[in-house]
Amino acid sequence: MKAKSDFPSINERQPEGISAEGKAYRVLIVDDSMFVAKQISQILTSEGFEIVDTAYDGEEAVEKYKELYPRIDLVTMDITMPKMDGVTSLEKILEFDNEARVIMISALGKQDLVKKSLMIGAKNYIVKPLDRKKVLERIVMVLKQRS
Amino acid sequence: MRVEYINPFVEAAFSVLKEVLGTEISRGELYLKSSSQPMLGTTAIVGLTGDVEGRVLFDMSLQTALAIASTMNGEEFKSFDDLAKATISELANMITAQAVTKLHDLGFKFDLTPPALFTGENMEVLDTDVEALIVPIDMPLGKIEINVAVRERN
Repeated sequence: MKAKSDFPSINERQPEGISAEGKAYRVLIVDDSMFVAKQISQILTSEGFEIVDTAYDGEEAVEKYKELYPRIDLVTMDITMPKMDGVTSLEKILEFDNEARVIMISALGKQDLVKKSLMIGAKNYIVKPLDRKKVLERIVMVLKQRS
Repeated sequence: MRVEYINPFVEAAFSVLKEVLGTEISRGELYLKSSSQPMLGTTAIVGLTGDVEGRVLFDMSLQTALAIASTMNGEEFKSFDDLAKATISELANMITAQAVTKLHDLGFKFDLTPPALFTGENMEVLDTDVEALIVPIDMPLGKIEINVAVRERN
């Protein structure tokens, strides 16, 4: 006879976006492409994450991070953006909160900037095109590092 | 124009389109053009500057652009609105970024401009002093012509 634990329990799986305390992780999405912002938002909300805001350039990202702090768990940060690029924005956010969890979203071909971001203190990176599995894997990995 | 500039764009287009659209793709016959050419109506342009300079166009009909945006967003677009435009720009961005990575690996160094999108009827493009190579990509959703005009900087 098979025990209940032999079957995958799809229905009982805790959504990835909910913390051990039962609260939704709060995410700020930073991307100048409306398409990419929407794509990330759809992937994350489907797993129970709460998208608290979206910023369309690096400057707006810093402002919004300061507004939302400390009620923010994670930032997804595009690299190439108008006004202020993602690497500078990352630096400014870390100056304000050195425990900020920022994940870089990069097109292929930006390895140098990704490397620089990781040296500065980005927690991880995701290379576009984005897919659900890749996005969730990296984000969950970063969120679990602290808890 | 040396074919080694072109292959990375074709390979990148194949791999990105396959990944984001999950569809069958085949390549039509390549051809060269040095005179003014008609455009299909919805065109993303990315500029290149560095060891090689020029531009790449991703050219398609409005109908194809809408079909691609619909597939990539998982919702049907009736008009070419801001989200549909952002989707096509991002597609151009991803293909070009992947192609450039391949070209960097071959030792060419240059930068890209962010993609710009043109739409309209009866548009034509003319490149002076550099011929354009056109790679038609056929998919069930429609046709994209990748139009590459680049040269080595002297």
